[in-house]
Amino acid sequence: MKNTTNPPKRKKTLAQAMNTQKVAGYVFTLPFIIGFLAFLALPMILSFGFSFTKYSILESPEFIGLDNYITMFTGDSKFWKVFGVTLYYVIFSVPLRLIMALIVALLLVKSSKLSGFYRAVFYLPSIIGSSVAVAILWKRMFASDGVINALLQTVGINCEIAWLGRESTAIWTLIILAVWQFGSSMLIFLSGLKQIPVSLYEAATVDGATGIQRFFKITLPMLTPTIFFNLINQLINGFMAFTQSYIITQGKPRDSTLFYTVYMYQNSFTYNKMGYGCAMAWFMVLVVGILTLILFKSQKYWVYYESEG
Amino acid sequence: MKKRVLAASMAALMAMASLSGCSGGGGSSSDTTTAGGDTTTAASGDTTTAADSGSSDGEKVTLSLYWWGNQTRNDLTKKAVDLYMEQNPNIEITVEFTDWSGYWDKLSAMAAGGNMPDIIQQDYSYINQYQQSGQLADLTPFIEDGTIDTTNIPDSIIESGSIDGKCYALSLGSNAPLMIYDKAIVEQAGVTIPDQPTIDELYDLGEQIYAATGVKTYFDGGLNMMQIIARANGSHLFDELAAGDTASTLEHFQNVVRFNDSDAAISPDLLAEKNPDVVETKPIIDGTTWNDFSFSNQYISISDVAGRDLGVCMYPTTADATTQPMYLKPSQFFSIAETSEHKQEAAEFINWFTNSVECNEILLGERGIPISTEVAEAIKPMVDEKSALIFDYIDKVSEIAEPIDDPDPTGKGEIEAIGKTTVEDVRYGDVTAEEAAESFTSQSASILSQAQ
Amino acid sequence: MKQGYKEKRMVLTVIYHVFTLLFALVMIYPVVWMILGSFKDSNEIFQQAQKLLPDSFKLTNYEVGWQGFAGYSFGIFFKNSFIIAGLSTIGAVISSAIVAYGFARCEFKFKGFWFACMLLAMMLPFQMIMIPQYIVFNKIGWVGSYLPIIVPQFFGQGFFIFLNVQFIKGIPIDLDEAARMDGCSIYSIFPRIILPLIKPSLVTSAIFSFMWRWDDFMSALIYLSDPYTYPVSYALKMFSDPTAGSDWGAMFAMATLSLIPIFFIFLTMQKYLVEGIASTGIKG
Repeated sequence: MKNTTNPPKRKKTLAQAMNTQKVAGYVFTLPFIIGFLAFLALPMILSFGFSFTKYSILESPEFIGLDNYITMFTGDSKFWKVFGVTLYYVIFSVPLRLIMALIVALLLVKSSKLSGFYRAVFYLPSIIGSSVAVAILWKRMFASDGVINALLQTVGINCEIAWLGRESTAIWTLIILAVWQFGSSMLIFLSGLKQIPVSLYEAATVDGATGIQRFFKITLPMLTPTIFFNLINQLINGFMAFTQSYIITQGKPRDSTLFYTVYMYQNSFTYNKMGYGCAMAWFMVLVVGILTLILFKSQKYWVYYESEG
Repeated sequence: MKKRVLAASMAALMAMASLSGCSGGGGSSSDTTTAGGDTTTAASGDTTTAADSGSSDGEKVTLSLYWWGNQTRNDLTKKAVDLYMEQNPNIEITVEFTDWSGYWDKLSAMAAGGNMPDIIQQDYSYINQYQQSGQLADLTPFIEDGTIDTTNIPDSIIESGSIDGKCYALSLGSNAPLMIYDKAIVEQAGVTIPDQPTIDELYDLGEQIYAATGVKTYFDGGLNMMQIIARANGSHLFDELAAGDTASTLEHFQNVVRFNDSDAAISPDLLAEKNPDVVETKPIIDGTTWNDFSFSNQYISISDVAGRDLGVCMYPTTADATTQPMYLKPSQFFSIAETSEHKQEAAEFINWFTNSVECNEILLGERGIPISTEVAEAIKPMVDEKSALIFDYIDKVSEIAEPIDDPDPTGKGEIEAIGKTTVEDVRYGDVTAEEAAESFTSQSASILSQAQ
Repeated sequence: MKQGYKEKRMVLTVIYHVFTLLFALVMIYPVVWMILGSFKDSNEIFQQAQKLLPDSFKLTNYEVGWQGFAGYSFGIFFKNSFIIAGLSTIGAVISSAIVAYGFARCEFKFKGFWFACMLLAMMLPFQMIMIPQYIVFNKIGWVGSYLPIIVPQFFGQGFFIFLNVQFIKGIPIDLDEAARMDGCSIYSIFPRIILPLIKPSLVTSAIFSFMWRWDDFMSALIYLSDPYTYPVSYALKMFSDPTAGSDWGAMFAMATLSLIPIFFIFLTMQKYLVEGIASTGIKG
């Protein structure tokens, strides 16, 4: 940039300067930076600001310092309950979903006449998302007189469990729903597998490597950037999970399925405590941020980037 | 030092937020930019001039109207609006509609942006907070000068939309709490349901029906029932809660325990699974229970989903009730936004919507039984069988009804959520009625005091 | 010997297909239930939820549902959804790839900071910035139009940027260096070398972007006011009204229709994820 102001010095400088990583990096990322500053930065700062206020949306915010955060940690037992519920959900749903997605992706990467059809079928559940139809169906499937119990009965387990009515099982119906919708992670794994150069496999085959060896020596290491991406993404998604809890269980029974974001939303919009809701949001950002940072730092131990050799 | 910087930057941010909050003004009609479609060019072109010069004759005035509703309501309301525009060529009404939960998210965003539509549909549980924050226009002057004609409207209905003696919202129809029951099962058990059972009678009925048919009984553990108990005791739930008085809540939780201990009761597991809060999964739908509780406006959709004949009776009262607990509730209101620049025209439209038989022949009581007695009389012969049943029910209730409690205080949503978990704790047997009443009341009292 | 090998392979293939097919059936059951539900009466959906097949196939739900609301039919809503999802996808895929290249291949000042900002934006729930964002867009007069929904998509989306970064990092740096030796600038390496190699992640981005924009009703709810501009996702919400009554049959019917475009996009796009590796499958 400096060089552009002194044209006489050298004629090639502008082009040269533009061709350095320092400048090119900004040129390429400029759309994001502009978009971020224009559409996201101010709302984010405002919501952070609101977390130090008593704010009902309808009335203007009133500065109350750290009160929201203090109430959150010391005065609101429900806060820790929903945090625990969400953590439990994330700990089980994220790994299960990723494992499921990876296994199915490996199965489907094989070419056969039906693979397109299979992919579509496995992806379908993710397309319908958390629509109301899914909510209704899920409740019916896990009803005490529903399909799941009927299936269990046919294999000889006689039970009439109200899956959605017990604290210990209700959350699992939501975890299973999350695992069932593994399609998007699967798709990302598929594209990750697709990107692995065929030449690597060919070379390995020439060297006489077995299928299992090829999987551990080539597929898995080459897939680590994708696994890493999926992990971060699912972690964020897991903490942000909303609709399942909001539509299907509405937190029942006894808040055992009340997700963090749902409680945050209720505070912000139903209980008129936008300030408190914002404080909750930023605490979650902090937790997810720290976890993400740890994962990023851990990359050097297990993620293999071809570009870094 | 750091502190001061923080405080200063916060203040600046708040100023920004609040500045943008009140600067919206007449933005309501500028929304048509890329919309195209129905809102013709003439309309959007004239908006600015109309806004400048107020509402002088001959100039076209654009009103925005916002409501929540389903297909039927959206269709009928649009039809009525079209008729109004036909009859009043100088008025252009732009409509916007949403589903129930989205409506309140959007409305709060609009309020924060100073961008509220001229006429907004309101609900009894939200009216208080919108009024308190100065978002709603006072309708009293329009009622006094006859713009909104109230000759055929009972005073109690005007009062239901009034806060501190001023009317901020005009009811669009009346509702009443009710208990629904499965006629076939009741007949099979050979019992009859009185018009208004006492809680003891309901308990006995439940036992008898269970013995004869094996079908279970549901008892409403929520705020509606608590309100009924408090009213039967001659007080109001939120007054008691604010004062930390546990009298009615204790009685309520004792009832919950009693019903829960009965063989006839639906188990807490099953209740959590069926979730009577949602029309479609109510335990009465699939015949798990023979009864359920709701409001009259939901009767039609419940019986549609159930696909069979359901009877209605009033909410149960206590045997020793000092007052009649039944009341009429406004199903929803129309309010005018304080930011509206065409309050007079908006009031005229509301008047027409309320008092015109022609308009209500289109609407057919979809928003509840019309509040104008004349209009209600006129359209009653035109409605279908199920609606007629509700017309009759509201008639019956209105003969005995006592005035409704004041609009729900801020903090009601939170109290309701606590009520739900508390009653679950009671049903699962984790706390006694006394403990439940104690903790529920003290938590509610602190929420109400904070909300002040 | 060779015969035995062939037979073993046959058996394995059959087992593979039987297993995958069974699994697919379990996966797809709820979807089929929903589609068949769209031919049932509303009360049949709830009364006999266990039953898969409707008593009789009725098209009433489709007829009633298609009429839409207040004279605005689903034809209009579908058109709007195509505009929103189509433009957003084009914007998001292109801009995200460009930004990702910057993050993945260039070292520049505050790169870590901007990358962190991107992740931060992914972590903050939309509900929490909805109100301030509305105020901002209202200020610049965009509320009531598609601009607040579509324009931000043209400035890169965190998820897609991050995805592309991961893919670009998986490309050997030797390729860039070779190209530089041949006289390519940083700017021409991107379209010539990188872009063709990240096709899988571009395709994935496109599928996701289209699907998410198609399903998104929150921003439509907040920013649109004229029913003429509503997308399908938002219109679907209006079949249900807890205060007055819901038409589930019509909702299921329209929800089923709204699946078709996303499904079609997926089917056409996923082909690009097949080739290449497929050849190794055959050889293995």
